[in-house]
Amino acid sequence: MSRVVVDREVCMGAGVCEMEAPEVFELDADGVLQVHEPTDPAAVETAVRACPTGALQLID
Amino acid sequence: MSSVSTPTLDAIDLSDRAFWGAPPEQRHAVFDLLRRESPFAFFAEPVVPYIPVGPGYHAVTRYADVEAISCQPALFASGSGAVSIADMPPDLNEFYGSLISMDDPRHGKIRRIVAKAFTPRVLEGLVGNVQAVVDDVVARARQRAADGDGTIDVVADLAAPIPLRVICDMMGVPDSDRAMVLQQSNVVLSGGDPELVEDEEHVVTAFLEAGELLAGLMTRLAVERRARPTDDLTTALVTTEVDGERLTSQEIASFFILLLVAGNETTRNAISQGVLALSEHPAERDRWAADPGITRTAVEEVVRWTSPITWMRRTATQDVELSGRAFPAGSKFLLFYGAANRDPAVFADPHRFDLTRDPNPHVGFGSRGPHFCLGAHLARREIGVAFQAFARELPDLEVCGEPARLQSSFVNGLKRLPARLTGLR
Repeated sequence: MSRVVVDREVCMGAGVCEMEAPEVFELDADGVLQVHEPTDPAAVETAVRACPTGALQLID
Repeated sequence: MSSVSTPTLDAIDLSDRAFWGAPPEQRHAVFDLLRRESPFAFFAEPVVPYIPVGPGYHAVTRYADVEAISCQPALFASGSGAVSIADMPPDLNEFYGSLISMDDPRHGKIRRIVAKAFTPRVLEGLVGNVQAVVDDVVARARQRAADGDGTIDVVADLAAPIPLRVICDMMGVPDSDRAMVLQQSNVVLSGGDPELVEDEEHVVTAFLEAGELLAGLMTRLAVERRARPTDDLTTALVTTEVDGERLTSQEIASFFILLLVAGNETTRNAISQGVLALSEHPAERDRWAADPGITRTAVEEVVRWTSPITWMRRTATQDVELSGRAFPAGSKFLLFYGAANRDPAVFADPHRFDLTRDPNPHVGFGSRGPHFCLGAHLARREIGVAFQAFARELPDLEVCGEPARLQSSFVNGLKRLPARLTGLR
């Protein structure tokens, strides 16, 4: 299963990934993105593609 | 549908206010032509009293170009103004544009502070609130129709109060100030529409007065919240720190204005024009009413279809190239979101209103990049809850007159939309 990498410099906490795959992505109380173990690969891929700042990357 | 005369390239002037009062089909026909024949068409800037006229702008109408510009903020900056065609004086620009007219590193710093208040989970906690507001607004609208002649104004009775009450609740704005907030945010986003700003000579003055009134309210609330913190967004804004820094009073006031204005006008116009679109497409309206399960895609289609913010501006920071064409540093670009949202290269049958369109990568909340709409989750929630309530509680709502359109190039909006509740008779 591929892994998600977050570029912290670029992520601005828009939360689009969390809307797409809430079980994997979660903005915590400080607005910092937490990434849990990917479950549904299709949803994760959509979330990575949907990131408005391109902060997410899928790595095999 | 009214007959649409075929436009010609030479006759198109996007800086002519009259164009923006034209029926949407006519405007779409113009943008279809521009996208096809002249995707970076150049226009002289409209004249604004007391503001020097700039060099002109390119109208960007293809989806791919809107995206390319949005996702390269270092080359295409917002700092010299994203919400006006003319370069406004810098202090005015920053005051009214806040985050929208700001570049990194400052943009990133402030955006991260405020983003915390808009995460999906924070907004999840607001669902009850949104539902309660919508239920109350809908009940009052029905009562109003019953007490009167059976008609309502979709704008004033349904579309305006929902986002106004939600955003004012979030910010902790007292009831007694809300009428002022609605009126002044109308002025800020009027685009100089003669009905909202009576005298064109005084557009800038009216604009400044509106800003002063809203900033005054914020200053008062900020003092109160510093003394007695609550769980509202204003408290979060005056107390939050990022890297040990707090927002300055000026930054808080600007952001407050941004939220009030952006949080109100956009959602209001999506709702009112969504109602209009459903009345023009009764089969889609019935489909949504019969199957609330399509709400997720339906909301996206309402936003694509209405594209409430018509454009944002970017300015080239150096010589740039787009789709093989060179532009000198300082070139201004207006990103026409509604045009990109009907680009046949991305949307099959783009002039079809299809509530189950999927995928629907519209740019109604802005395209990819750091300025993507902060309130997108909130807007989606409000629109989804509103239309489900309309389907349930107002199934007899019938548009019964022509919409009055806002004459603004910047906001695609309705001032009035008469409707009748046929079940009352």
